[in-house]
Amino acid sequence: MSDTQWPRYEVFQQETPDRPHRHAGSVHAPDAEIALLNGRDVFVRRPECSSLWVAPAGAISRATAEEITGGALEMDSTTGEAVDYLVFAKLDARGMLTHLGQVRATSKVQALQEAARACGPQTPFVLWVVPAAQLTRSEPDQAEPLFAPALDKPYRDQAFYHIQTALRRLRQEAGD
Amino acid sequence: MTEDAGRLAAFDARIAAGEKIEPGDWMPDEYRRQLIRMISQHAHSEVVGMLPEGGWITMAPSLRRKLVLLAKVQDEAGHGQYLYHAAETLGVSREEMLEALLQGKAKYSSIFNYPATSWADMGVIGWFVDGAAILNQTMLARCSYGPYARAMIRICAEESFHYKQGMEIVLTLSQGTPAQRTMVQDAVRRWWWPTLMMFGPHDAESPNTPTLVRWGIKTRTNDELRQEFVNQTVPDAHTMGLSLPDPELRFDAASGNWRFGEIDWDEFWRVVHGDGPCNRERLEARRAAHDDGLWVRQALEAYAART
Repeated sequence: MSDTQWPRYEVFQQETPDRPHRHAGSVHAPDAEIALLNGRDVFVRRPECSSLWVAPAGAISRATAEEITGGALEMDSTTGEAVDYLVFAKLDARGMLTHLGQVRATSKVQALQEAARACGPQTPFVLWVVPAAQLTRSEPDQAEPLFAPALDKPYRDQAFYHIQTALRRLRQEAGD
Repeated sequence: MTEDAGRLAAFDARIAAGEKIEPGDWMPDEYRRQLIRMISQHAHSEVVGMLPEGGWITMAPSLRRKLVLLAKVQDEAGHGQYLYHAAETLGVSREEMLEALLQGKAKYSSIFNYPATSWADMGVIGWFVDGAAILNQTMLARCSYGPYARAMIRICAEESFHYKQGMEIVLTLSQGTPAQRTMVQDAVRRWWWPTLMMFGPHDAESPNTPTLVRWGIKTRTNDELRQEFVNQTVPDAHTMGLSLPDPELRFDAASGNWRFGEIDWDEFWRVVHGDGPCNRERLEARRAAHDDGLWVRQALEAYAART
């Protein structure tokens, strides 16, 4: 491979074990394992992560509200073997793409249709389906080496500094 | 009504309703073009922004200051990545953006073309430059394009740390020995005007602003943000006994604003057009970093290609 851009992976981040994974952004990497490491370095410099997932951007099927309501998902004649897809949807106008669950479908378009139905009466603003086989997850036993180092760096948090207190004290001294 | 006019009306209505525009949604070409321009420049600014501070990591006066500065510079690398991602959702590739930067064709914030010549600069950059950036970025966190707004929310949360660690350095030096006070006063004198230039030309000279405001990309103008920065910074400078290099600076009770003198726009345009104190040095450092990283990229590719 020459020195050009690597494939893009979308990164999904779970902040605490009781919350769903949400889309954080993307990284470029030569494979999924390095994508997980790059995702950690880019998105987890602070202690707010319990798990990361990555998927190649090219493997993801996407639809916008306009495409879902405009009937762009209707024509689907392809059928194959039924496989599992993870569903991510943005349901709130100001929200983020959030993991909702899983559907089983025989094609990408069918997966998007099933996923749109699974969202209930509300049309999602954005809908993604990711073939489960294309998703790479950080292993639970990797959680400590991947995410614990951020815990040791309280100085990355603005609450570590007490600027206003110091300025107030200076003003009081000047007033005395 | 043509199809495009209908789409444009629907698009304007979505923005007026406070909806976020997402990748894949229809958008006017000019909206896409303006966003690619702004987000890629913003990404480049984060990447080049590592350079003035990066050189001071090994010269930090204590281990604590070194850890903090290292963390800040790492954040800037990460912020560049968030922003390249946001720009990529508009159809431009990371590779072409990086190439434009390395070839010297891309713009980035001119503030990073000034040298950081003393340790006090690490404080004043956090206080002034990050303080100014936070005002701009807090506005952009409400921007109508979803991926840019979300990147900005992440960045603003992290940037508060940058501002405060800088302020802590300035506070310490300003209450320190006479030599420390002289050093920080000198840094304030050098960074004040370039920081005011960061907000860009006056509103009357800023051709893009009305379009950006109409589409909810910007919600405040350059001059409004600049005035807010001056208003928040002058009282803190006075509290710390630091003077700002502007004889015309005075409080205007009628408007509640600190009035300030005219910016040297000749200097601003000189630096924008490549003739600042460090333009060449910054590009050379960026190219060297890219070339020096080649072996890492090759090693990762070899690892990925293993059987």
